Amino acid sequence: MSRLQEIAALVSHVAPFPKVAIRVLAMLDDPAVTARQLAEVIQFDQAIMVNLLKVCNSACFGLSRQVSSVEEALVLLGQETLKEIIIIGSSAGFYSGHAGAGYQLEEGELWKHSVATALMARMLSRHLDHIGGGSAFTCGLLHDIGKRFLGSLVADEFQDIMDRVGREGCSFVRVEQEVLGTDHAELGAMIFEKWGFAPEMIGAVRDHHRPDALELEPLTALVALSNSLVITMGVGVGADGLASEIKGAGLKRFGVSMDQLQIYMVDLLMELEKAQDLIELNMSAVNG
Amino acid sequence: MRQVVGISDMLVSNKPDDVLVTYSLGSCIGIVIWDPQVRVGGLLHYMLPDSRIGRQRGIDNPYMFADTGIPAFFRESYNLGALKSRLVVKAVGGSQLLDSVGIFNIGSRNYQVMRQIFDRNNVKISREDIGGTVNRTVSLTIGTGRTLLKISGRGEIEL
Repeated sequence: MSRLQEIAALVSHVAPFPKVAIRVLAMLDDPAVTARQLAEVIQFDQAIMVNLLKVCNSACFGLSRQVSSVEEALVLLGQETLKEIIIIGSSAGFYSGHAGAGYQLEEGELWKHSVATALMARMLSRHLDHIGGGSAFTCGLLHDIGKRFLGSLVADEFQDIMDRVGREGCSFVRVEQEVLGTDHAELGAMIFEKWGFAPEMIGAVRDHHRPDALELEPLTALVALSNSLVITMGVGVGADGLASEIKGAGLKRFGVSMDQLQIYMVDLLMELEKAQDLIELNMSAVNG
Repeated sequence: MRQVVGISDMLVSNKPDDVLVTYSLGSCIGIVIWDPQVRVGGLLHYMLPDSRIGRQRGIDNPYMFADTGIPAFFRESYNLGALKSRLVVKAVGGSQLLDSVGIFNIGSRNYQVMRQIFDRNNVKISREDIGGTVNRTVSLTIGTGRTLLKISGRGEIEL
């Protein structure tokens, strides 16, 4: 099998993203959506329903009473939080077990990196116009989904890849492209396409390692910046380390200084602590 | 016992069996100190150079920043009987993204601030592994002072 066929086969074997989740996310972008409409759609996916109620009733939210329906969850938590619970619950399964092992990430680290990037993207989204609600969080959470599937190929060529990164002083993703004929961002975009996500979301995943990413579409710039900061902090970083290229001049459009970005890094640590239970709850559910 | 030091945190110990470890240093810096006479050691993992960006946060958790974290960390080791003049000091981390204009230079600023503090206080660094784009993990065995540096994807060496 040629490398390209191997990669096409990888994508064809990726399980579909829960359709109900995609539908619900779109519905939750509409401020006029009613709890009843949501409940009608969610009831078609028992896994989402069960996860939603379990998360709502966990200690993460400290609600004073038992939640037993979508309507109640929506009233108590609001649209944004509900959306995040559903997207987290629907994504966790793709990060189960040793996802990221090819990049020498320990179990659970790729998931932690993904949640951290989603939280950072949510915080930074207020600095850019034209970012659809929820798409920042979703793209943050799934920007590295390609690593889950490219990992085995990276592992096969690991020594060669590391040698080239060291010798040429270039980005890891560029060497993936040189050695494997694709990279995890491109593969992630193919998976997003297969899942039926919106074009700007596909673009954000595909271009999140482009050196000029901060000058591209708003969502792409947002995901690239969020990922860069999370990598800088060392959250869920593997053998690729900080070998990622970014033109910092593009930061201008965000209207934030480097000092402000550092405050966001501090805040992210606190957000991650708060989200810890949610991260573990979803992972233990999929790892059994 | 293996004790993990998280981001923006530190530990000091005088228990010979303790192995202090901190994972995944990106632009952050890990400082290892060890007093061979009393066998007291510690590990600090700070994230940012200067607490003045958000003073309250530096008060809430001094170990987040070099300027507040390094002095507080050394003091904790003195409380266990370590002496500054005897301390062996090692530093690792301070990587950064490939950004030709140097806006994302937190790694080198983290290092500069540490050097300034050490120079002012006559603290010598005996070993260091700083910069580049790699992801580092460092550990210290309290009883022996053995310091191991692991660079993700490249293996482990004694520092």
